[in-house]
Amino acid sequence: MRKSFHAWNIILVAIFAILFFAVLYPILYIFKASFVNPETGAFSLKSYATFLHYPYYLRCLRNSLFVSTLSTVLTLAIGIPFAFFLSRYKIPGKNLIRTLGTLPLILPTFIGAEAWLILLGRNGLFAKAFRGIDVEIPSIYGWKGIVLVFTLQFFPFVFLMVSAALNAIDRSLEEAATNLGAGRLRVFFTVTLPVVTPAILSGALVVFYLCIENFGVPVLIGEDFRVLSVQAYNEFISELGGSPSMAGALSMILLAITLSLTVFQKYWVERKNYTMTSLNPIQVKRLRPLPTFLIWFFCAGMVFVALFPFAVVMVSSITKTQGPVMYFGQFSLDNFIRAVTIAPRPIINSFFLATTATLIGIVFGIVVSYLLVRKRGAVSYLLDILVMLPLAIAGTVQGIALAATYNKGFIVLTGTWMILVLAYFIRKAPYSIKTTSSLLQQIDPSIEEASINLGVPPVRSFIRVVLPIMLPGIIAGAIIMWVTTLAELSTTIVLYYGPWATMTVEIFQRIGSGDFGPASAYATILIISVLIPLFILNRVSGKDLASSL
Amino acid sequence: MRVELTNITKLFGPLRAVDDVSLTIEEGDFFTLLGPSGCGKTTLLRTIAGFYNPDAGEIRFGERLINHIPAHRRETGMVFQNYALFPHLCVFDNIAYGLRARKIPKPEIAERVGRIIKIVQLEGLEHRAPSKLSGGQQQRVALARALVISPQILLMDEPLSNLDAKLRVSMREEIRRIQKELGITTIYVTHDQEEAMAVSDRIAILNRGRLEQIGAPTEIYYRPESRFSAEFMGSSNIIEMEVTGWDEDHSRIAAKTAGQTFSLRGDKPSGARIMISVRPEWIRAVAGRRDGEDNILSGTVLSSTFLGSMIRYRVSGPGGKPIVIEVHDPEEENIRKNGEILWYQLPPDRSLVIRG
Repeated sequence: MRKSFHAWNIILVAIFAILFFAVLYPILYIFKASFVNPETGAFSLKSYATFLHYPYYLRCLRNSLFVSTLSTVLTLAIGIPFAFFLSRYKIPGKNLIRTLGTLPLILPTFIGAEAWLILLGRNGLFAKAFRGIDVEIPSIYGWKGIVLVFTLQFFPFVFLMVSAALNAIDRSLEEAATNLGAGRLRVFFTVTLPVVTPAILSGALVVFYLCIENFGVPVLIGEDFRVLSVQAYNEFISELGGSPSMAGALSMILLAITLSLTVFQKYWVERKNYTMTSLNPIQVKRLRPLPTFLIWFFCAGMVFVALFPFAVVMVSSITKTQGPVMYFGQFSLDNFIRAVTIAPRPIINSFFLATTATLIGIVFGIVVSYLLVRKRGAVSYLLDILVMLPLAIAGTVQGIALAATYNKGFIVLTGTWMILVLAYFIRKAPYSIKTTSSLLQQIDPSIEEASINLGVPPVRSFIRVVLPIMLPGIIAGAIIMWVTTLAELSTTIVLYYGPWATMTVEIFQRIGSGDFGPASAYATILIISVLIPLFILNRVSGKDLASSL
Repeated sequence: MRVELTNITKLFGPLRAVDDVSLTIEEGDFFTLLGPSGCGKTTLLRTIAGFYNPDAGEIRFGERLINHIPAHRRETGMVFQNYALFPHLCVFDNIAYGLRARKIPKPEIAERVGRIIKIVQLEGLEHRAPSKLSGGQQQRVALARALVISPQILLMDEPLSNLDAKLRVSMREEIRRIQKELGITTIYVTHDQEEAMAVSDRIAILNRGRLEQIGAPTEIYYRPESRFSAEFMGSSNIIEMEVTGWDEDHSRIAAKTAGQTFSLRGDKPSGARIMISVRPEWIRAVAGRRDGEDNILSGTVLSSTFLGSMIRYRVSGPGGKPIVIEVHDPEEENIRKNGEILWYQLPPDRSLVIRG
């Protein structure tokens, strides 16, 4: 007993050391850098003064807040009715709609942006077609395109959270209101809606966070419309080698926003959640044909519009291309052949980095989950916060912080593949910890004790009894880690160097230079690599992975 | 295997969960730790199993001091309150788990598991998953899994608390039968006094981490040493009295309270006041005061519950404190209504005096 107590303490210290060097210290480092005058090296508020003085910077902040707010409102407008229709009414193909409806969450947003550029960009398919018949369509560039992509990719978050809340309402709750004399609308506005409001708020906060931290979409489609994450990246590139004071200041401002969103979500909204054990779920109603059709049209239509871009990219990948000009209708495998034969390195890099980070993340996740659930102590609270902290840090900010911190000095990691693995596993481990620790929580500690009592030492008892029961959660967590790492752009773009470019970097750069054909080929490989494990897991465990995000 | 605890103390922060407990459990005994929730009984059991380290005191199995033996080498079989069956293993694999950990050869495992499955009457369910078993069957698997390793000591932590009332009664008889059949030293934890009386050779009553009394069920029922023991095992009327004299020749105490005098059996009282404990069924309803008979009182019936074979009265006792009286097989014409006067007699020849 005493001995295992010591062993756990050593592990705890090691975990804290990793979290300190990978998360806390880099953030503190750029926090400090943001208060340093890059020329003199002295303490200075110059970066923040610059930010407040030049309308250019303030506009970035305003732009970020604007697109995030607008996209959040639109995702609510789509997600809430979507959830309500799906959970309350009989609709043909409901399960398919539900499954496909969650896919946009996992598919990379910048690929969505690419598709809209292929369709509505300057040389886009629709743009040309409309020009042919002399119809001017609004430009996709700037805030409109950003909001379009955000709305279509993030509304499933609102849908998932609200439908979970709707399904947790016991039938008797609405029946009680009806019994007390409330009409249908009154029941909805006085009982149903207030009960799901915390879920709506949660969904809104998550969407707002995802919008404001997103890097790929605004950088590809925003053009002159600059947002904070993009500007922080630009400043970092232009300050490369020097002290990242302006990039630091912008990162700190972005961090302040994302952190307060997370804190607000965790400590205020989550506490408002009503916990109900639904014994009798509300019966699914069958409507008359016309309303059923309208509802179906809305839901299926939204899913179609959200997934359409990815189909476009996949079709583009097998279309003959010449630079930005695509010959739709003429099929060719050139893009794939080129991707696989001439430049296969990004594909190998992506798989290698994602797999390495996932393997480390699995072990890290199991150990941290065990510490959090079974070895609760004075520092568990701190551990919980530190380990979940990366979820509240924008990818760009984390990338900048790591790159700046380990650029020179004691440990030099910038410019190696290891810094990518470090960033990936520290950013994605929370997903694994969430799935494994919630499973561990359901496993009664006496199961482990029973094994020990039957003569198996503690560590072996854990491996033989607890691990097999936790396996579904570990696999689910690992798959989420793997697919989200594969699709990661905002941290990678800051941290990668030449030979370690990943598929996402390759796609990003090819889109930037208008090279849509090869970009689509890589994107298609990426989409398929993400969908296959999810599909398999869905078949095997029937688990909706998107819900664990 | 004999189990000996000496001055065991277990602290949780400032809380003394187990406070200086010493007791000896004889080879083959069915020994029960009985007490309300939070009394330290489970903590004590888990300390014996090795899941807690005592902060003070010694634990001996036979002659061997086992304080520093880790839990997985103590050779105890434990049945957990929620059974703790391994959900990913079938009945057979659950039971065989401990044997495999001991590297027992395969044929012997099959033979021993088969034998124990017969004893706990689980034939035919070998390949079921635990989730496909009823509560009673899960209980049997848990018991079989603990017994199959031929442990020196069987530990049971409220094993019946998750079963319904009827099953609880039949399972406890079953557990008792198997325990006697195998002759295994058993330590059993429960908060249910009826269950404790039904299964135990000896019982230890625990209260707030401290030992109140150890003894056979009859001993504790007839001669509770403390007010807590008296009230926890069965129900009891507790009356405080003032000592007025002691008759050394007949070992009798003279006492009084609220103007009533009493004559009680007992040793020389240590102080000026004593406390007595009288079970409701020990009190007799009588016709009235008679010469030469001690301890006859009267009181007004406050309420009564008629249960057919028995009637239970609440009667105003000495000093106004209500007294509960149970009259078995009451004559219909003798049943008193609320507000009527009932004469009753406290048993003069039983030992009623308890420690405070």
